[in-house]
Order: sequence, then structure tokens, then C-alpha cells
Amino acid sequence: MKILRSPIIVGLLTATFGVAIAFGIANAQNPPITEAQITRIRSNCVSAKNTFTQLHASDALLRVNRGQIYESMTTKLMSRFNSRAESNHLGASSLVSYTQNYSSALAAFRKDYQAYEEQLSNALSIDCTKEPVEFYDSVASSRIKRTQVHVDVVILHRYIDDYESAFDDFAANFAKAQTGGE
Amino acid sequence: MDDSEMIMEEELTFWGKHSFLLLIGISITIALVLVVISMELYASSGAAQLDLSRPGYSAVTSQAVTTDRDFENYPSVGQLNTASISEFKMLYDKQATKAKAVDAFSGDPLDPVVLEISAVESL
Repeated sequence: MKILRSPIIVGLLTATFGVAIAFGIANAQNPPITEAQITRIRSNCVSAKNTFTQLHASDALLRVNRGQIYESMTTKLMSRFNSRAESNHLGASSLVSYTQNYSSALAAFRKDYQAYEEQLSNALSIDCTKEPVEFYDSVASSRIKRTQVHVDVVILHRYIDDYESAFDDFAANFAKAQTGGE
Repeated sequence: MDDSEMIMEEELTFWGKHSFLLLIGISITIALVLVVISMELYASSGAAQLDLSRPGYSAVTSQAVTTDRDFENYPSVGQLNTASISEFKMLYDKQATKAKAVDAFSGDPLDPVVLEISAVESL
């Protein structure tokens, strides 16, 4: 019985220490906001909110304009070429696979931008003179979500390159088959 | 008013007598329910984020690209030959360059130091 209990006790102790260490790291990374910082947030929050308002509008424009190009890359080019290749009975499985990856990345971009915009709107709605800590936390959360949107953009760019490489391979194979057939 | 008309009026219930009012009430209720559903869809689908006619976006509305005539559709049907492959390559390269031209959402404008709300004063 003692033998059976000991691994459970060891497991529980490890989990407890693990949680304690995780809390310690989290607190070290996000030190509590001091009174001096709260005063600083209160005094600078109006200018910060102005920056926010401008960023809110410019990012919305960026989302509309860039989003349109990213959408068209798949609807007007990738998917259309894939279906043409398929209808000509030419193996385009790698192109289809990259298009699917691109579409998934595009869906993630849309979802993450929506989350970011909602968070930014939430930060804008907070009265930073009355709730400086909530405002600061909301800004921090918006910052993380914006970084995620940028990561999505980088992934989309990578898939555009990947599709191009796969297309070059497809074109080379096609040319080889044409030459071989002659 | 003859006897038959008097009897019919007596037989009608309260809502029977006010059927027009009932119709208006039901119409308003249905309209309100549909508005709530459509607003919910507008907010949850992400359409709200693409709507630059909302208040606060007036400064950038004019800069939105409304037509993409420049972005040609590649024909999804037809024979695939060297010429059509070259055509696709040309179209794809052109649009890929445009798509990658802007490193969107880069930079860190929400850095507390930039916003001057950090713990330490920026120099």
C-alpha cells in the first residue's frame, strides 16, 4: 500500500511545486503596478487613447485592404489554377495542399484580427482616469493580440512563397512531360 | 345596424375587436427579434470589423480599396499548356509581390513605453 501511495504523493508534491514555480515566474514577468505607474497612466492616458483611436482606424483600413488581396490570392488565382490543373488530369496535389494551408492561415488571420479589434475597442471604452489598472491590462492584452495578427500575416506570406515554389516544380514537371512526349 | 350585426359584435373577444392593434404589435415584435439576430450576426461574423462606415473610421474610409479590377481572375477552365502556365506565373508573381509588399501589423505601437504608461519613464 505504501509503495502504491508514494508515487501519488510524489506526483502531488511535484504538481504543487510546479504550480508554485509557474506563479512565481508569472509574477516575475508581470510585476504588480505601482502607485507611481498608476499616476503615470492617469496623466498620460488621454494621449494614449488618442494614439489608440488613430491606430484603431489605420489598422481597420489595413485589415480591409490587405484582407482583400489575401482573399483574392486564393479565390482568383490558387483555387482557379488548381481546378484547371485537376480538370486537365494533371497531378496538383501539392498545390491543393498549399492552398488548403493558406486558406486555414487566412481563417486564422480573420479570427485573430476580430479578437484584436474587439480587445482594442474594449480598451478604448475604459475610462483610464477611473480604472487605470484595467486600462493597462487591456492595452497589454491588445498588444499580445496584435502581435498574433502579425504572426498570421508572416505565415500567409510564407504560404504564398510555398505555393510559388510548388507551382515552379509543377511547371518544370509539365515542361519535362511535354518534352518527353514529343 | 340590424340584429345579425349586433349579435356578431357581441360574440367577438377583446383581441378579436382589436385585431389591427394585435397585427401591429406582432409586426413590431418580429421586426425587433430580426434586428437583434442580424446585429448579433453582424458582430459575430467579423463583418463589423470590415465596415469602415462605422463612426470613428471616417478619416480612412476614402482610402479603402473598393475595386480590385487590377487583380485579374485566372480562368478555371480550359486546356493547360505552356502559354497558360506562363500566364499564371506572370499573374501570380505580380500579385504575390503586392501581397508581400506590406509587412502588415508589424511594429509595436502598443508598447507601454511608446504610450508612456510603463513603469519606467522613457528617456
